[in-house]
Amino acid sequence: MSESRDSCLDNLDMQAMNWLAHQALAAPAGHWDELRGRTIPPIAEAPKDQTQMSKVWQTFIQHLGNDGLETLRLRMGNLQRQVRDNGITYNVYAATDQPQRPWSLDLFPLMLDHKDWAQIETGVMQRMQLLERIMADAYGPQKLVLSGQLPAALVHGHPSYLPAMHGVPPVGGHYLSLAAFDLARGPDGSWWLLSQRTQAPSGLGYLLENRQIVSRLFPQAFEAYPVQRLAQTYRTLLDSIKARCPAGALAHIALLTPGPYNETYFEHAYLARHLGLSLVQGNDLTVRDEKLYLKTLQGLHLVHGLLKRVDDEWLDPLEMRADSTLGVPGLLQAVRSGNVLVANTPGSGFLESNALLGFMPALARDLLGQELQLPAIPSWWCGEAAALQDVLPRISSCVIKPTYPYNNHRQSFEPVQGHMLSRREQDEWAGRILRDPDAHTLQSWLPLSHQPTWQVTANALAAIESRPVVLRVFAVANAQGGWQVLPGGLARLGTRDGIASMQRGGSSADVWVQTSSALSSDSPPVIAGDARQSMSFSDHSFSDSPLGSPQRLAPRDDEYPSDMGKAAAPPQRQRLVTSRAGENLFWMGRYTERTENTLRLVRLSLEILSSENQNLPHLLHFITGMATRHGLVRVGVPAATQAHRVFERSLIAGLWDKELATSVGFNLRAVRLAAASVRERLSTEHWRLLEQAESRFFNTEHQVNVPDTLAVQGILTETSQMLAALTGAQTDRMSRDDGWRLLSIGRHIERLQFLSSALSEALQLGMLSEQAGYDTVLDLFDSTISFHAQYQQTRTPQALVDLLVTNADNPRSLGWVAHTLRSRLRRMGHLADGATVPMAERVPHLIELTSESLWPLQDKSTFADIATPLHATLADCQTAARDVSDQLCGLFFTHSGEARYSVGA
Amino acid sequence: MRLTITHETRYRYSPSVQTAQHVAHLQPANTPCQKVIRHGLQIEPEACLKHNIDAFFNHRAYWALISPHDGLTVRAHSEVETSVVPNVSASQSWEAVREHFRYRGGQHGDVHSGMVFGSHHAPVHEAFRTYALSSFMPGRPLMQAAQELTARMHRDFRYQTASTDINTPALEALQEKRGVCQDFAHILVSCFRTLGLPARYVSGYLLTQPPPGQPRLVGSDASHAWASVYLPELANHPSQGWLDLDPTNNRCGLASPGEDYVRLAVGRDFADVSPLRGVLQGGGTHTLEVAVTVSPLQVPVSK
Repeated sequence: MSESRDSCLDNLDMQAMNWLAHQALAAPAGHWDELRGRTIPPIAEAPKDQTQMSKVWQTFIQHLGNDGLETLRLRMGNLQRQVRDNGITYNVYAATDQPQRPWSLDLFPLMLDHKDWAQIETGVMQRMQLLERIMADAYGPQKLVLSGQLPAALVHGHPSYLPAMHGVPPVGGHYLSLAAFDLARGPDGSWWLLSQRTQAPSGLGYLLENRQIVSRLFPQAFEAYPVQRLAQTYRTLLDSIKARCPAGALAHIALLTPGPYNETYFEHAYLARHLGLSLVQGNDLTVRDEKLYLKTLQGLHLVHGLLKRVDDEWLDPLEMRADSTLGVPGLLQAVRSGNVLVANTPGSGFLESNALLGFMPALARDLLGQELQLPAIPSWWCGEAAALQDVLPRISSCVIKPTYPYNNHRQSFEPVQGHMLSRREQDEWAGRILRDPDAHTLQSWLPLSHQPTWQVTANALAAIESRPVVLRVFAVANAQGGWQVLPGGLARLGTRDGIASMQRGGSSADVWVQTSSALSSDSPPVIAGDARQSMSFSDHSFSDSPLGSPQRLAPRDDEYPSDMGKAAAPPQRQRLVTSRAGENLFWMGRYTERTENTLRLVRLSLEILSSENQNLPHLLHFITGMATRHGLVRVGVPAATQAHRVFERSLIAGLWDKELATSVGFNLRAVRLAAASVRERLSTEHWRLLEQAESRFFNTEHQVNVPDTLAVQGILTETSQMLAALTGAQTDRMSRDDGWRLLSIGRHIERLQFLSSALSEALQLGMLSEQAGYDTVLDLFDSTISFHAQYQQTRTPQALVDLLVTNADNPRSLGWVAHTLRSRLRRMGHLADGATVPMAERVPHLIELTSESLWPLQDKSTFADIATPLHATLADCQTAARDVSDQLCGLFFTHSGEARYSVGA
Repeated sequence: MRLTITHETRYRYSPSVQTAQHVAHLQPANTPCQKVIRHGLQIEPEACLKHNIDAFFNHRAYWALISPHDGLTVRAHSEVETSVVPNVSASQSWEAVREHFRYRGGQHGDVHSGMVFGSHHAPVHEAFRTYALSSFMPGRPLMQAAQELTARMHRDFRYQTASTDINTPALEALQEKRGVCQDFAHILVSCFRTLGLPARYVSGYLLTQPPPGQPRLVGSDASHAWASVYLPELANHPSQGWLDLDPTNNRCGLASPGEDYVRLAVGRDFADVSPLRGVLQGGGTHTLEVAVTVSPLQVPVSK
């Protein structure tokens, strides 16, 4: 990587580079080529040396290792697996029943040398300062509008300008805590600003994931470059927010997300987990006494800072859009009173207008007394007559962009490239612009630089192609009252002919920024251990093998506070469980158990229907009754006794039935949906298991054309194995806080209900005196093995009651379930003034009963003798399960989901 | 003219509302032709009131109710002295005003430029231009055109209660040619804005005269709304350049349509100044009664 090394590339490197340079498609003529480090000349001018590569790429290739390019394919496979394993997704208008789209990440990083970076870094910091000044003026003296330096149309006329925030001093001294800047490299090799995002910029989480994956694929190149680390900047942002919060270093910061259906929800959950923030939705929060509180199982907890990913107009239904369910009523009042720092201060959206760019050079001179270091792409706001005159004849060489975003009283449009328009279309656009000049902004068309990408084609051949690239960098506030630029970013790649947003299927790449000390030719290599530590907060351990390793040795479960949380907030805080998280965990538990139970029931029924017992009327009545009670077949399906095969087919078809809100498939999906809302609490493996269980189950639907009972049994066995793994993740991989207790309570309530109703039904049908009936119940209780081990073949009522009702060691016995439920409820006694303690007493004591004390269970007693008292006990179990569930919901959940509505008079 | 206003809003909830937060614009403004003698705001259940002045210089009150309640009563009682400002005529053409508000780099911006832009309830749309244009002949003074447009609206539109609600778009009310005072005010504001002229929405009250020979009925009045257009030429006039126009009653006047009008608040549209707004947590259905009484107060003349 040093100068000397450049001049004496070894043979292998030379070969690799020749191969790469010949393989790699060059950028189109007139575009900068990142691989070759220059602009591609028009075809007429003969390419002098196609193989010449940029210095950064030469360094990169040299450090691919001995196998060099051979391993790229493997690395790509590894990358895709990690994206999948880590569950990185970007939802595209995610519907609940659609699989999430995996995040698209390219193999090669976008590499910036220290010179490129120096220009970007100083330029972005300067622009950040300027944005802050513009915002301070707009919400303060408004001199810029009065003096004519800024059109009112871009401030008051912008739908994201919030008069409600006028005159409100920013909490913590400045308005902006972070902003994103989209940059592109022009044909001259320098970087240009395309746009800026201040309301709720996305990317800070994705770029960290990109970094974790890509740095592991190219460890040598990463160290040799050497690449600047990211962790410190995230810490800086958080420290800065805390330092400026009313509560200082002990401030409680939350990340406000619109929820799991947002396209970047993955990132919200990811960031919250890595920064140690509470991930909250609008209805998790409430304003009392002009302060912001989080609703938790433990009561209301003050929130001092809010990192928001909700657009401003939705933030407060009391003062802004009354129809918003994403916000918090009274939030602006809390901001006004200085009780909560919102990052960024609501009302920054007007800074995002494309039209603002054209005014910034003059504003920089006036407000900062400086020339801008980072030029923006030339932009003309058509609302200014002079600019309009100037630019209208040149539509064909411009991009037409909206001045304003879509909002509820104004239309907007997608950007249009002038050179793609026909003559007539250009005239039509000119007409539109003249009719509403304020709404249109024209920008020079900049040929974007192209980044090499590894594309796997349909026939599995790989090719290196080039794609236009836009670089998003972030400026974040620091504790000194200024800002700093994250040394890295999110590269977004478009299609070959233009840039595409993530929503339209674009891709992304890691961004490597060279450490400036690499200037000196013999800079010391960065110590590997050190590098790994600063890579991210939670991920301390990964293999240095060229292919990396997806294994994480350090636990990623969020029960372990991240390093960062520890460093920033020394006192160990009690983990807060929001009421919403509690509710979702409770239902996650109930649905997991329900899925297991209904799956077992279907499996058992299908077994019976094709076994030697298929004509036993008791059994057929039993499975018909149970399947109907649990909604596993549609209403009106004839009983198994009447139409054996029809029933069997209905049972199979019912597995995937989307209209039955009780089918096994529905229950499985409900587990995933509940889990999605608490995703920041689940380990990556846990989440992946959930997704896999669901997708595999639904993928098999189409494999079963003809009801092939054997094939279905195979599917059910596989799903039940995954459920066992899921149970393992729930019991062994989650921290046992009150949230987990609710999950466990949910499972036990469901189990108590299901098993007691099954036993009750069996008793009623009198099927227990037959061996097949007895065995069926044992099987449904998953207690066959225990039975054989303990009772050999003695199918007595005593044995059954002992094993399935009063047993203290069998986790499937009703006694054990009731006992566990009681102890969980008692453990939650510190909440809600101990209201769960009397609830525990409501659950029947079964273990404590000796059979003799309750029933005349003598050696000769029959099931008929015990039917009445046993029935009563089982009914009691079912009522208790229902009552406890209702009471818990009333106690902990209702206020989080409570209807909220707006009134006006 | 000395006027007293009692504005009572009464909500009944079933079941009880758990918590609620409210914002009110119920305190009349001090204006060149209106002096607030006294004002009181009573809330039941009792709440701690927070007052502030908003971006449009209106008085705004905020309160929160944090325990369950099955109703809310808000009683605003105000006493104001209204007057008229000297009437002058303005000759500036509407196009000149439009040009005044058009941005030119380096030229000073007007402090009222924020009122030129469309808002949620009073948007900019070609339909408003089409309707307004026949009053806006080339070169016509804005004052004259505005008054004529107001009179025309008064003729063209049918006042029909319950034909619209606050979510009815101004555009729809324009097409239907009917609505209530809020709709008319929004339409008029939209007409001005579509032509590039600054206009604002005014909320307030109007003293109504009981039918001859009948006593004034308590609570029979309602809150009222009208529009206001800005004439830069009269920026130094006591009205500060605002010409108030009431299309519902075809009344116009600088600073106020008349002595019998009381101004509460001004804003871009209803959403900025709605007399009472709230977000409730819990509850289910509610009933609402609003009773407004505006009456002249006989003040002993002391010489």
